[in-house]
Amino acid sequence: MKGEVILNEIVKNIFIFILVVLFVMAFSSSYLSLSIDNLAYVLVIGIDKGKDNNLEVSFQFSTASKASETGSTEKAPTVMDTVEAPSLSAAINLMDSYMGKELNLSHCKVIIFSEELAEEGISEEIYTLINDTQVRPSANIVVSKCNAKLYMEQTSPELENLISKYYETFTNSSKYTGFKPDATIGDFFNSVICKTCEPVAILGGISTEKPENQGNNHIQENYNVKSNQTPIEGENGSENIGIAAFKDDKLVGELCALETTTFLAIKNEVDRFLVSIPDPDDVNSYIDIYLYPKGSTSIDVDTSSPSPFIKVKAGFTGKIYSMSNNSQYLDPDILNKLSETCNKYLESVFSDYLYKTSKEFKSDINGFGKYALNNFFTTQGFNDYNWLNNYRNAFFEVQIDTSIKSSMLITET
Amino acid sequence: MTKSKIGTIEAIMLVLTIIVTQTISSLPREILVSSKSATIINLIFVSTLAILFSYLMVKLMKNFAGSDIIDISEYLGGKVFKNIVGIIFILYFLVSSSILLRNFCESLKIIYYPMTNIVFIIVLFIIAVCTANRLDFNASLKTNLLIVPLVLVSIVFLFFANMNKFVPQRIFPIFGDGLYNTFILGLGNLSAFGGITFLYFLPPYLKEPEKMKKIALISIGISAIYLILCVSTLLFMFSFFINTNEIIPLYNATRYIEFGSFFQRLESIFLLIWILAFACYLSVTSKFAMGIFKKLTNIETKKPLIDIFGILILGISLIPKNYAISDKFETEIYPFLVLGITFFLGISILLLANLLKKKQKNITSKSE
Repeated sequence: MKGEVILNEIVKNIFIFILVVLFVMAFSSSYLSLSIDNLAYVLVIGIDKGKDNNLEVSFQFSTASKASETGSTEKAPTVMDTVEAPSLSAAINLMDSYMGKELNLSHCKVIIFSEELAEEGISEEIYTLINDTQVRPSANIVVSKCNAKLYMEQTSPELENLISKYYETFTNSSKYTGFKPDATIGDFFNSVICKTCEPVAILGGISTEKPENQGNNHIQENYNVKSNQTPIEGENGSENIGIAAFKDDKLVGELCALETTTFLAIKNEVDRFLVSIPDPDDVNSYIDIYLYPKGSTSIDVDTSSPSPFIKVKAGFTGKIYSMSNNSQYLDPDILNKLSETCNKYLESVFSDYLYKTSKEFKSDINGFGKYALNNFFTTQGFNDYNWLNNYRNAFFEVQIDTSIKSSMLITET
Repeated sequence: MTKSKIGTIEAIMLVLTIIVTQTISSLPREILVSSKSATIINLIFVSTLAILFSYLMVKLMKNFAGSDIIDISEYLGGKVFKNIVGIIFILYFLVSSSILLRNFCESLKIIYYPMTNIVFIIVLFIIAVCTANRLDFNASLKTNLLIVPLVLVSIVFLFFANMNKFVPQRIFPIFGDGLYNTFILGLGNLSAFGGITFLYFLPPYLKEPEKMKKIALISIGISAIYLILCVSTLLFMFSFFINTNEIIPLYNATRYIEFGSFFQRLESIFLLIWILAFACYLSVTSKFAMGIFKKLTNIETKKPLIDIFGILILGISLIPKNYAISDKFETEIYPFLVLGITFFLGISILLLANLLKKKQKNITSKSE
């Protein structure tokens, strides 16, 4: 009896041992494929139009070992390789073979499309990337005015040693400048499918064309710039100012810095921004004002007629940023006058921007459609209204309520 | 099994196990597809019906104190009918848990184990279930008591962590595809409350059977709130679940959680919690299936059944050739199984048994 118990115990242990070995073998292939030695981490993907309807796909990799060897004062080198293939997945496959490692997209921070490709439609690439379990929905989407490969080559962050860190934080300034959106692939995919909105991407470019008469320009010109046309000169050759507006998956237009700020203000995605309004006492000079949204922008959409009527109400508090001789910012009348001027100026800017999206782009990038949903009892009713196509017939009313409170440290000069 | 009695909270968590597992799988997506923007209204409607149904069920079971649906079936139609009902419930537990397991493992394979054969992933769960079933029934219940609240908390966290990405206007148009679709065709979403099935088997195991009504109402109430939270997260965050099919919809929502650049990629924690919840669900359903089998066959102990039921679950889960077939079962056949067995067969047995009891009472009182 005792011998039988011992035998049973031995058989049980052998069974457990075989089971453990089997499971180690079964799961080791999955773990090996995810081993850091077998992977090449892609930081940026650039997609251009290649020859014969092919795609020219560029991959930028981090070289972890070199980065640690170089120390903290030197910039970590990156590697960039390009491949031409009929599809994005074929390009990844070819690059896997070339690198001798499997490409891993779990640290991919930015996906760049060339303007030329974006104009033809990028839904196939977006769907493929979203289908990949490794791609994060927070990866940013950039549409480059130049070749995507050139944009990647020119990007050289000045204040960061690691390019991955730069790409992780490069959209942060949108919260306090309003000059670029934090457009991600997750939001892009959501908007491509959505029946109440259209997608946008960050407008990227390189510092090549300098605006003519630089230096003599009006102060307002600084707000009308966009990527490829900025007066910036620096070590980092790439720039990201403006929005690339899409209709479905096709690029239909671009927005400049001021229009991007308007877009973000309407979407409640900007914490503060600077505007230059005409000085009410001197038509030739301008006053810089920091504006802080008072609350969420109120949007009302009337769909009782075939042409949607959209009312936009926004409120801001302002602080005067620029100072000159004879500034009297403790006088309530002056502040009221400035507030009124600011209202008029912003109403005109908002209105121009909205009509541009409606008449020129014919694309509801602001997602006003969602505010129209409550006008319908059923989805069929909303579908029959054909919002996305009807947006081109929309007309707008903008009401801005700005109250300029004071200047900053100096109140009177 | 009857030696280990179940407390009130343990019983509530037991009922919640089914809905938790279903929501991890494709249930929220299916509800969204069927009701579109009217999903929340539809859920409030079907939740009210489910609460009324469970109230009725408890009322009807009151006349058979300490008996489960199998005992009541025997009272109604004798041993043959008892065996038929028992086999239906055993098959229901085995088939539904196997297919849910297969779908969950397919998703795990896609996300984490691309190079591993699906059999090994399923076998891991089967080993866990067989080991848990060898322990006392209370061991599974206590584990369930820990894991299910963890899943509930994780879903509340998921809801609040993603709140900044919500578009609440997606609740409109308020009636989605129309009143008929929302309130008549939408009745099919009652299948989300498959947890009611456990209520049929609880009475013999309860420490305090008089609290059956409390257990039923609280568990269905929490299920309703939980389901509304899950579906609201998806409805408010994404426009695409109505048109696009994605594996584990809630996993997709977890990928968006980010707190600065430090707290990112929290989806692994969610998946770990869900894996534990799935193991608990399998353990509980197989235990109930074995309990029914023991009752039907009058065997002394269920120990020899543990491995057989484990192998049966493994076998059934491997029947579908691919994910498309198992997904079709889960989305198109499973809801009808729940509606047919839980909401039609179960309540019909209870109604008829009550009528029979009333009739017998009348005959007895007349003869006296």
